[in-house]
Amino acid sequence: MRGVAGRVLVRWETLLVVAIVAVGIWSVTLSPFFLQRANLLDLVTPYVFIGLMAFGLTFVVITGEIDISVASTLAVSIVSFAQIFAAGANVWVAALIGLAIAGGLGLVNGLLVGVLDLPSLAVTLGTMAAYSGLAFVILSGEGVATFPEGFTKLGGGYLANDELPVALLVMLFFALVLGIVLHGTRFGRYLFAIGSNREAARLSGIPVTRVRVTVFVISGLMAGVAGLVYVGYFGSARADAAQLSLLDIVTAVVLGGVGIFGGTGSMPGVLLALILVAEVRNGMQLANFSGQLQNIVIGVILLAAIVAGNVIAGIRAGGGRTRPRRSRKEVTSNAPAETQVLVDSNS
Amino acid sequence: MITRVRAMKPQELAAAAFRLREIGIVLALLVVVVFFSIRADNFLTASNWQDIAQNVSIVVVVAVGETFVILTRNIDLSVGSIVGLSGYLVAATLAHHPGVPIEVVALISIAVGVGLGLVNGLLVAVARIPAIIATLATLAIFRGIHAEITGGKNITAYQLPDRFLSLAASKPLGFPALAWIAVVVAVIGAATLRFVPWARDFYAIGSNPDAARFAGIAAARRVITAFVLSGALAGLGGFLFASRFPTLDSGAATGFELTVITAVVIGGVNVFGGSGTILGVVLGAVLVATISNGFTLLRLDEFWKIFFNGFAIVAAVAIDALVTRRLQEALRRRRVALVSSQPQAAEA
Repeated sequence: MRGVAGRVLVRWETLLVVAIVAVGIWSVTLSPFFLQRANLLDLVTPYVFIGLMAFGLTFVVITGEIDISVASTLAVSIVSFAQIFAAGANVWVAALIGLAIAGGLGLVNGLLVGVLDLPSLAVTLGTMAAYSGLAFVILSGEGVATFPEGFTKLGGGYLANDELPVALLVMLFFALVLGIVLHGTRFGRYLFAIGSNREAARLSGIPVTRVRVTVFVISGLMAGVAGLVYVGYFGSARADAAQLSLLDIVTAVVLGGVGIFGGTGSMPGVLLALILVAEVRNGMQLANFSGQLQNIVIGVILLAAIVAGNVIAGIRAGGGRTRPRRSRKEVTSNAPAETQVLVDSNS
Repeated sequence: MITRVRAMKPQELAAAAFRLREIGIVLALLVVVVFFSIRADNFLTASNWQDIAQNVSIVVVVAVGETFVILTRNIDLSVGSIVGLSGYLVAATLAHHPGVPIEVVALISIAVGVGLGLVNGLLVAVARIPAIIATLATLAIFRGIHAEITGGKNITAYQLPDRFLSLAASKPLGFPALAWIAVVVAVIGAATLRFVPWARDFYAIGSNPDAARFAGIAAARRVITAFVLSGALAGLGGFLFASRFPTLDSGAATGFELTVITAVVIGGVNVFGGSGTILGVVLGAVLVATISNGFTLLRLDEFWKIFFNGFAIVAAVAIDALVTRRLQEALRRRRVALVSSQPQAAEA
């Protein structure tokens, strides 16, 4: 069983790597500067905050839920941080409070979904709007843009002869830590179990409610971390920050092979998908695509990723065509949920 | 005694709960009206009521379509983009060809909506992409197409013929034209959901997709129908939007889907599909639009409305879930009472 699922995961991630190389070749034809070391290292930097939110969302989606409030959570977190900083607090203290607020907003989502057992789609659609409104209430208008350099280094700084972006390291650090949590701990295996079959998970003694609340807190906290990187990179905190990033976040998660109905997914996949999204956006900028045209392309990629996942799942299930959707679990993207759980509980 | 217990069938109990919901909205509406009448000076004027009526009308038209989709346990996040795109095309058509009859322009707008709705339906029902993801993508794609068409330009009221601009302000039989259209759409929508077999299927699919399929319902075709109708009504909504707000750019009606979904959810349509009425949705739309109007009169910023919409969605969903659970608990107890033939237990 391990071999089968392992091969499928490898196959999906191999596809991503192939796509990254292909888009790379396209980019080289657009600009000879693409392959320069500095450009390659900086390729992902503007999208690090999207990646950090995608990592958090990955936890939520694997448990079979969704959190579309992440970008609004980021906005509330950074405007609170900015206001506290502007009021004279130490920038790191303010950053910690901003993080705590992001975690608190995630906790609100988590309690509504986990404890009151409300549908996460409706809850986070509501909190997406509520948080977004809240961000403007806290800081409307101009925004704050006077942060000390020691802080903005987090998102816009460089190490090693001004070549290595700090933000890239931050992202890789969280990819590693969250990857270990997801794939190497009992808590991580709980997520897959709950996402595959929540009732079975409950019956087998997994603290389902606590885990479901926790994943939303993690998602909120990651939006907070993303916010700090965002402020560092863009140098300012505004209430409409990251408002349009939801499409890219969801695309990174889905393109990364995370099954939209829960129970499957991998952190390396999401990381590769983020690199691909960043590379595609970068290429489109080189080709002078307008921002809206870029969104059309990303939207199409998002749809294509799911269709491709369905087709692969259909082929694997035999018959060579996508099977009719009998239950929610059967349309997961790259491996049948049951297989994944067996693998995860055996490892 | 047993007959008394049986007197309240599950459907009747559910119907009672819905009436409760509609009464609840009416009460909330009364509270809101009284509050704004006291706090906002211009709230109780005829022109303000007309303002509210016009805004409600556009929301109702689009919300009826959204209701069809949500009843089938799906969601359409792209309606705001469809309203914006079709509305812009209406204005652009009239700006470049002022002679085109209004009716033809309205049909074009609806046709655009049908096409975009069909895309959504095919993505969800045939390509089997979850509606939330599919319509999140098409929200961006339709808006992107819209922006590509406008190319950064906008259309202003000066470019549009008077007969189009006067449409929103006209009052046949003393009632705003937009409101007439909304009433017609709501009545047809309600009648369709009640009497037309394929529309009854929306409820069946939303209540239990598997059971609906096993019962022989062509679920995929029905879901496509729901999305096409949602698109068509969003297209009509775009036409009304353009007549009401004749200055359109690439951002027209951004976020309108949130208002629509708030109206639908407040109106008592279950986000898991399978239950909800057009009457509730109309009341929900009136409540949302009245509160939004009151906020404007109190000079509260736009983002308070966004905050309120979001809060209202969460609150409505929470109340729904609690009521549903109480209802199920009550039904379960009645069933137990019937089985054990001890009617006293049901009385307790």
